[in-house]
Amino acid sequence: MPNRNPHATPSPKTKSRWWPILGPLLLWSTILGSVWCVWIDFKIRADFKALQWALPARIYARPVELYAGAHLGDEDLTNILQRLGYRQTTSVAGPGEYQVTQSRVRLRTRGFEFWDGQETSVYTEVDFSGRHISALRGEQNVDDLALVRLEPVEIAQVNPTTGEDRLPVTLDDVPSALVQAVISVEDQRFYSHYGLDPIGILRALWSNVRAGGVVQGGSTLTQQLVKNLYLTQDRTLLRKLEEAVMAVALEIHFSKDEILTGYLNEVFLGQDGNRAIHGFALAAEHYFGRPLKELKLDELAVLAALPRGASYYNPLRYPERAIERRNVVLARMLAQEYISDQQYEQAHKAKLEVSARPLKRERGSGYPAFMEMVYADLARDYDSKALRTEGLRIFTTLDVGMQSAMEAVLNKSVAAVARIPDADKHLEAAVVITDASTGEVRALAGSRQAGYTGFNRALHASRPIGSLVKPAVYLTALESPNFHLATILADKPVTLTLEDGQLWKPDNYDNQTFGDVYLHDALERSLNLATVDLGMKVGLVEVANMLTRLGLKRSVLPYPSMLLGAVNMAPIEVAQMYQTLASNGFRSPLRSVEAVTTALGEPLARYGIETEQVVEPDAVFLLEYAMQGVFTRGTARTAANRLAYNMPLAGKTGTTNDSRDSWFAGYGDDLVGIVWLGHDDNSETGLTGATGALRVWTDIMTLADIQPRQTLPPENIVFDSVPLIPVRDTADRNCNATQSLPFRAKTMPDVDYSCEVTDSFFERIIDRFRNDVP
Amino acid sequence: MMHRMLLVVLLTTILGIISGCTSFETTDNTPAPAAVVVMPTTPDPSAPQTIVSPPAALPSVVTLPPAPALVPPASTPNNPATPTATLLVAVDAAIAAGELERAAALCERALRISPRDAYLWYRLASIHMQQQRYADAEGVARRALSFARSDAQLSQSINNLLQQAQAALTR
Repeated sequence: MPNRNPHATPSPKTKSRWWPILGPLLLWSTILGSVWCVWIDFKIRADFKALQWALPARIYARPVELYAGAHLGDEDLTNILQRLGYRQTTSVAGPGEYQVTQSRVRLRTRGFEFWDGQETSVYTEVDFSGRHISALRGEQNVDDLALVRLEPVEIAQVNPTTGEDRLPVTLDDVPSALVQAVISVEDQRFYSHYGLDPIGILRALWSNVRAGGVVQGGSTLTQQLVKNLYLTQDRTLLRKLEEAVMAVALEIHFSKDEILTGYLNEVFLGQDGNRAIHGFALAAEHYFGRPLKELKLDELAVLAALPRGASYYNPLRYPERAIERRNVVLARMLAQEYISDQQYEQAHKAKLEVSARPLKRERGSGYPAFMEMVYADLARDYDSKALRTEGLRIFTTLDVGMQSAMEAVLNKSVAAVARIPDADKHLEAAVVITDASTGEVRALAGSRQAGYTGFNRALHASRPIGSLVKPAVYLTALESPNFHLATILADKPVTLTLEDGQLWKPDNYDNQTFGDVYLHDALERSLNLATVDLGMKVGLVEVANMLTRLGLKRSVLPYPSMLLGAVNMAPIEVAQMYQTLASNGFRSPLRSVEAVTTALGEPLARYGIETEQVVEPDAVFLLEYAMQGVFTRGTARTAANRLAYNMPLAGKTGTTNDSRDSWFAGYGDDLVGIVWLGHDDNSETGLTGATGALRVWTDIMTLADIQPRQTLPPENIVFDSVPLIPVRDTADRNCNATQSLPFRAKTMPDVDYSCEVTDSFFERIIDRFRNDVP
Repeated sequence: MMHRMLLVVLLTTILGIISGCTSFETTDNTPAPAAVVVMPTTPDPSAPQTIVSPPAALPSVVTLPPAPALVPPASTPNNPATPTATLLVAVDAAIAAGELERAAALCERALRISPRDAYLWYRLASIHMQQQRYADAEGVARRALSFARSDAQLSQSINNLLQQAQAALTR
């Protein structure tokens, strides 16, 4: 300090002595200050202009379609509506509301920008009959409405590395009551000041002096925006000065509406785990589970209170504080004549109804197993930066209803079948459910535990598939003109010499042998020895090729042990293989992503149905006859009673050596389901496919209400009767007991062998029109 | 307390400086007003705000692209609209607008509702033909054929399409 004596009056001499130093100092500080100002001005202008928030990619489940005949019960619908945050009311007034009366649900959808066009908001009444929609009506009970698509449930998002999340909106999309509420508590003179509000500062100062501490800030919305944009908690004088300059600069270069929009989207309004809630549109969804537009005055006032203290006034955690502050907001709005006395009274008394949803599970990490598949599919076209910053909308194939149904039973169901107590050894599970026609993945479990984020067994647990391989062996045979369902196979002990010179002696599961058996019977009862007999006849290379044709990507070595399932596959690979069987020989790659759009709904990419015919429909039809027989006569007949309403179904059980793996793969008309059970350390489970995986599969599929197969015989298929008991010598055939089997017209059993009364070709053609379709 | 007082004093000086700052603009494409903008004591909305264009990068400012909405066909009690009929109207509209991928998406949406509808598969195959995706067209057409069965006319159309697809593939 130059002046050590504060009482001394500066003499003219002193003044002239200091001036040569003070003068240039003042000059330089003015110059430096100006340069600094120019820099700050430049910076805020550039930053605000280029303001492009890093937006998380949002990932959606498959949207629910409503139409007469849709397989959807009233509870399924109300569950989805609740997931979408619809409000149950006694009279549907606006979008996002629904009403339930007996077996009718009335609702008004919100509308959504899909990749194939915009779905507008519509009112509809839905009638149910059992687990189906019986009628869909539009306004006034008159017009039949053909099809209504609900908004998709958001199942996950890929957050930016900043952890910030927001749903940017334009000012037009913000209710004016919210703007008024924010202005009345945060910055009353927003529309008249120019970035700084000296009156506000003085008032804040006065309140602070009176209170003897900082109780009120004098920051304008513009200043708060600047503060939020640069995210520093620095409270130094220089920092404040910088903010003030920036605020003024913003006001010079941008309109009030632009600044207000920036503020409403930018401001920090809460924390959800590692996700920071920014902007009012996202806050509305976070706290109330509904879009901003649907919120009422009292709810908007709750949100308007949050900039002052997002954690302190968090309505989810401190409802009393939130209500108290809400009422302060309402009182200010009343005082500034934004609302009437009546509006005030009503909002003031309103109960606080916050979102009851377990937000974290649903938004952040709801379906980790399925999401892993989505990320893998997306990684082909999008890098992680694009996912984290560009606000992409990703439409997946997940059926949340199906996934929930599966998760609801899986853990209990696995516990119920386990032979070894859970405490000793944890029996694990994996499930894949796909659409039988399109190959879209509807549900996925990588563990018996819902939401498990560890090892994803559905995608990565590569295990021997046991008898699940057999359909490939039989299909290879049925494709050739030399085999049909009544071909007689030898189920008897066999010893094969392997490539390495070792001998291989396979056994049947129960170590019994059955001698001469029909081909269909051998598959239905999963006879190992008969299968080896067949496989060696059709050729190992052909069987390996068949696996490839059905969709297996990894190469299979054509060793005899392959015939009994010494082939490793992950459940998802098995699903691909059975998908091809379920769609009658048309292979469609399994998909988890359907389309990607920009944040504004412009289509970027679509992953549509691809399909290629890899097996003749005739051969697949014959195979399916036997695979339906698995449920009626074969290894899965124990499940037939419980599935009485769902039959016919097709499937195959699978058990591996020492019962280490228990598999079941089955399909109906709409779904393909694969269930695997086993221990992570590959130890014995004591389960067969039938006692383990089949029971879990049945639990899931009865809940999902799998639809019966409606496979119609292709043109070339005719039915013929053969003796019930297979005998090789036609002279010994017993036609007193027969069974009717489908055959390809060109590959009929010998005339001598058939038990048809007349053997004329004409009669057989007539048979084609018989009704006894399996 | 001192900080706040000082702030108020400083701010008033800054306002003056800021007004000078705007005259340094060199990066802006918009021509600056001829005279140096002097910050008035009361805000004058007309002068400073014309200097810059609105921030184009703000995603929320961009308007949504017009996407044609589904127009369900007029239905009478005798002829209630079915979901697939409704979607086929939209498919036609999309094709007419030259938006083939959107048409394909709508067709697939219908196929999710009626997976055995040979005509829908056939339409999807035709769209792929227009897109010159002949291999995809062939696979889809074969699926159409597998469901066409008794419909001789449709089967004929599908077979024609298949021939065209195969011809295009061997070309």
